[in-house]
Amino acid sequence: MTIASGTATVELANVSRWYGNVVAVNDISFRLDGGVTGLLGPNGAGKSTILHMLAGFLAPSSGTVTISGAPSWRHPQMYRRIGLVPEREAVYPFLTGREFTRANARLQGMSQHDAEAAATRAIALVELEDAADRPIGTYSKGMRQRAKVAAALVHDPPILLLDEPFNGMDPRQRLHMMSLLRSMAAEGRTILFSSHILEEVERLAERVLVIVAGRLAASGDFREIRRLMTDRPHTFTVRSSNDRALAAALLGLPTIAGAALDGGLLTVRTTDFGDFSRAVSGVARRAGISLHELLPTDESLESVFSYLVRR
Amino acid sequence: MNQVIALITLRQLVSRRRTILLILLGLVLVAVAGVFRLAGEEARAMRFTAGLLSTMGVGTLMPLVALILGTGAIGAEIDDGTAVFLLAKPLSRSTIVLTKLAVASACSIVLTCAPMLVAGLIGVNGWGDGLVPGFVAAAAIGSVLYAAVFVALSLVTGRALVLGLAYVLIWEGLLAGLFAGTRTFSIRQQTLAFADAFFDVPKTVFAAKLDLGTAVVVAVIILVGAALLAIRRLGSFEIAGETA
Repeated sequence: MTIASGTATVELANVSRWYGNVVAVNDISFRLDGGVTGLLGPNGAGKSTILHMLAGFLAPSSGTVTISGAPSWRHPQMYRRIGLVPEREAVYPFLTGREFTRANARLQGMSQHDAEAAATRAIALVELEDAADRPIGTYSKGMRQRAKVAAALVHDPPILLLDEPFNGMDPRQRLHMMSLLRSMAAEGRTILFSSHILEEVERLAERVLVIVAGRLAASGDFREIRRLMTDRPHTFTVRSSNDRALAAALLGLPTIAGAALDGGLLTVRTTDFGDFSRAVSGVARRAGISLHELLPTDESLESVFSYLVRR
Repeated sequence: MNQVIALITLRQLVSRRRTILLILLGLVLVAVAGVFRLAGEEARAMRFTAGLLSTMGVGTLMPLVALILGTGAIGAEIDDGTAVFLLAKPLSRSTIVLTKLAVASACSIVLTCAPMLVAGLIGVNGWGDGLVPGFVAAAAIGSVLYAAVFVALSLVTGRALVLGLAYVLIWEGLLAGLFAGTRTFSIRQQTLAFADAFFDVPKTVFAAKLDLGTAVVVAVIILVGAALLAIRRLGSFEIAGETA
């Protein structure tokens, strides 16, 4: 099936959302019109708030959120165009995977016969046939996740909103799900998924929206953003037999941006993570210094995202 | 009414352990009637049964059943996140609310009226000049009213069970007995007024404290008001997001 472009548009225009005095999303604008887009950011950055607003489960405090040109808030008919995979794990434990998927099809307005066929197709798409007739209460986390995806796909929607869709899936299931989502995007669908795992986004998304502290820190082609992330200065803490002499020796390296001795701890900043990691032991050996410890200090996603925000 | 939502709600309510406790509570009512019958005090049968059905049936079993089922019909789904699967569908919020309300009411009627009917039949050893069917019919209306209030309450607050219990115990159990004015807004008193209108027994056997006209008007206001409030609340239902 091919989805006509322009009918699967997702748009946020100057959207903010706050809870009392706390800002969850701060003046974000973007428009998606087909393809796979990754919503990337650390936990608590505002990804779920954005997805909830798109899914019509949160009203924006200011700005407009539209799905195919219509407001998402208080507009239940838009759910014909959306397949939603919520982050929360809970699925009716007393229903089987097939019953759950079929119920979702029936709630989309399909006849009993059409719902049965659609459920069978969706269950096959997520490779859940073997467990389809077991109660969801007996499922593993990954199986529950696939049941949720099957329910989201059952009415063949042009727009898919997926909140951390790979949670709990094993590597093989992840690859299968990524391949499925890629092929669905190739048919013209607009797919937006959130993740806090860089590698997931890298593998799947053509486009990325990086959210940090409620703001859109970066958006566009993933490779470009990845390069910014890779090229940023990295910070290491070093412990050695002579920190002062080691600092002086390291400053001779072209990729060293700075070194500081603070409270007996040597901190080194480098513009090239790989080059520094390879060179540091040689520099220490030539200076007759024993290296005791070398630790990167800023490898968390939060620090990567913070760097992007500062740019 | 939506058949799929009704079936999911029914299975959800029936599969909960609390429902088994409610069945056991109903059996207590039947057991008390059975003990009375074994005691063979035939002369007190009408007064005893009227007291049993009004206090244990209408006063205890009916509100507890409706409280558990009414707050569980949609509040439990909101708490555990499964409500999203119903709400992310092209369905009017009134369809969802009215279906949930219908299922909660039907289940409450079954779990309240069946034990009341059996206990009443045992207590008076028959229909008791219309006393038993009168109480059962009134309890059916009362169950719908309670269910509507508790479904709405579960959409207003996350503490619907506690607040509902406080309403039943404090407002209806304590204040309605002390101050006549508070009886107007007591579903228990409205139910007893309906029961009184459904049968013709001496005042020494049973007499409601609220007049029928007031009971009907306030009951309609409560039912319509609760349903509209629930629909309105679900229409603007928000999932709490994370904050940065």
